[in-house]
Amino acid sequence: MADIQTSIRKNQKIKLLNGQTVTVTGKIGEGGQGIVYRVKVDGTNEEKAMKWYFMYKINDPKSFCSNLADNVATGSPSETFVWPEQLTEVTNGSFGYIMEIIPDRYKALSKYLQARVSFKSCSAMVTAAINIVEAFQQLINKGYSFQDINDGSFKIDPTTGDVLICDCDNVVSFGKASGISGKARYKAPEVVRGDTLPNKVTDRYSLAVILFLLLVGNHPLEGARSNVPCMTGKYERRFYGQEPVFMFDEQLDVNRPVPGLHRNAIALWPCYPDFIRKAFIRSFSQDSLLRSEGRLIEQEWLMLLVRLKSCIVRCMNCGCEYFAESTIATACPDCMAYNTPPGYLRFDKKRTNVEITIPIADGAKLYEAELDERSKDYNTVSAEILVKPGKYGLKNLSKSVWEITAPGGKTVKKAPGEVAVLGTGFRIDFGNGVTAEIVANSR
Amino acid sequence: MGMIDRVEVPRKVCPVIILADKSISMDGLPIGSENAAIEGILPELASMNKENPDAFIKFALMEFSTGVNWKTGIDGLVDPAEYKWVDLVADGATSFGLACKELNNKLSVSHGFMKQASGSMSPVIILISDGEPTDSYSVALAELKKNNWFKVAAKIAIGYGKANDKVLEEFTGNPETVIHTNDVQELKNLIKFVAITSSMVVSTGQATKSNTDTNADPDDTTSVVADALKQAQAALSDATDPGEEW
Ligand SMILES: [Zn+2]
Repeated sequence: MADIQTSIRKNQKIKLLNGQTVTVTGKIGEGGQGIVYRVKVDGTNEEKAMKWYFMYKINDPKSFCSNLADNVATGSPSETFVWPEQLTEVTNGSFGYIMEIIPDRYKALSKYLQARVSFKSCSAMVTAAINIVEAFQQLINKGYSFQDINDGSFKIDPTTGDVLICDCDNVVSFGKASGISGKARYKAPEVVRGDTLPNKVTDRYSLAVILFLLLVGNHPLEGARSNVPCMTGKYERRFYGQEPVFMFDEQLDVNRPVPGLHRNAIALWPCYPDFIRKAFIRSFSQDSLLRSEGRLIEQEWLMLLVRLKSCIVRCMNCGCEYFAESTIATACPDCMAYNTPPGYLRFDKKRTNVEITIPIADGAKLYEAELDERSKDYNTVSAEILVKPGKYGLKNLSKSVWEITAPGGKTVKKAPGEVAVLGTGFRIDFGNGVTAEIVANSR
Repeated sequence: MGMIDRVEVPRKVCPVIILADKSISMDGLPIGSENAAIEGILPELASMNKENPDAFIKFALMEFSTGVNWKTGIDGLVDPAEYKWVDLVADGATSFGLACKELNNKLSVSHGFMKQASGSMSPVIILISDGEPTDSYSVALAELKKNNWFKVAAKIAIGYGKANDKVLEEFTGNPETVIHTNDVQELKNLIKFVAITSSMVVSTGQATKSNTDTNADPDDTTSVVADALKQAQAALSDATDPGEEW
């Protein structure tokens, strides 16, 4: 019996279907489906990664290969995806494909879940969540389903929140099965139950699981009830398929997080603003779990997450970052001091059914998508709240001139770079169809 | 605790238990192969633990001859990265019945190895033997088969030389997970291959047959491992002689 590892040797030349050859220069890593090698494209200085399959892990190699060839031909939905670029010829009874090498600054989501890597800031974490949702949206818009989604598929930069999505070889068009059976933990209950093949709606469930793991740090369906001595196949079907219960379900309290075990969820859940908790409660409601109803679409997540990013402020007591609510006191997760903002910006229009309010507190930022209805930019800061003794200001970092009207009727314009002082009842027209009012919280 | 400070998401423990025959008939090359193979598995299991956020493999090794002994200690399963290897030394008879009885004792939450705060997955149980049982094992094996942990475990047996495959089959309950060899070098490869493949399949959650077939018994972990072993072996046969016997 031969060793799996030796099916490709160092310095071996592999032919690509486009006629080029590559030389294997080393090994990058190994996964369930195969090994990833570092290769040099012959005749160039270009370095690439080559995934090489364990053929026995592929249920139907022929259709798998033809799907892969289709994906190569269609091309990547966006640069977030580490997409197959070229297939190799079949060599020694197996084959593979060439893709970009993933830079070291990207760390696998599985490492975050194991607490071996952590985000450098709250905003990096929320930015990562936004990037993941955007990638999903791009994929779905191209008609693809991300069936084999799991924690190994995402690589995230802990400093910036930049995301790369790997394992794109398992991406298939809706209506097709990838031949890979993903982990039950990430699959929609109706897929675990065998009611349906993965589709847009089941992918939305998987997306919510990834977001919950990322933000709250535990699996949404793993609590007291699912903590059985032995997670057999029967139990797996029950807890992830037939009788799933969200750990924070509003009606059912049977699967609450267990102290000492689900520590992240117990500590972090209360620290999220109500609108984020509601989004998860809806995503994992019994309606969603048992009838595939009420799951959030990508655009809703994006608005909720950018609003969450705008709520990141510094604790007045210890300087630690936390998520502030607009109207009520929030406990700093670090020093436990309660802070209530003096007021908030209330936007007049809902965005994708998401109501937007932003607390007036040191460090809060507004992003382009919040101040411009047409924008899909969730990263560029367009306004920032500044503090001076006795007053708050909003700095215009956008490209538009703002018009601010006081309750008495006086109007001023604030050009990019200028700071508008915030007073109770002031109305701000940010241009681009977006207006807001300053509301004071009662003391 | 700040918003970005986390502790690990709890992982299920995936117990990997090896029952290794060290009867006197194994003396010499066979026990050497067995030692080298099992020692070689440990770093592989440790590296799987580094990668897999769903499960953490813990290991136990029982040596059996005239008597039985847990090489990894009686306190429970051990972290493969932390276990200090000590070679098995061949001596004595093949008390298979005793081994079954002792395994049955330890496959228990209340008085055995299976109490884990975050819960377990189905265990992987690998039996390695080179001969006929020298004790009467029927009652002990029948008792073991009533153990719920044993029922859901992936059970694989590797027979070497004079091992009685019928007995091994009684143990695994599935002829497809009984693998026999008469070649001492192959014995080493087989032990490693079987242990790594089955641990990988179970710990990464691929062992649920309902993944692909919703009518299958979701708890028949052994048959899923059988499929994986079959496929892997077929892919691995590195035939160079087309006249080779099938
Ligand atoms: Zn604080």
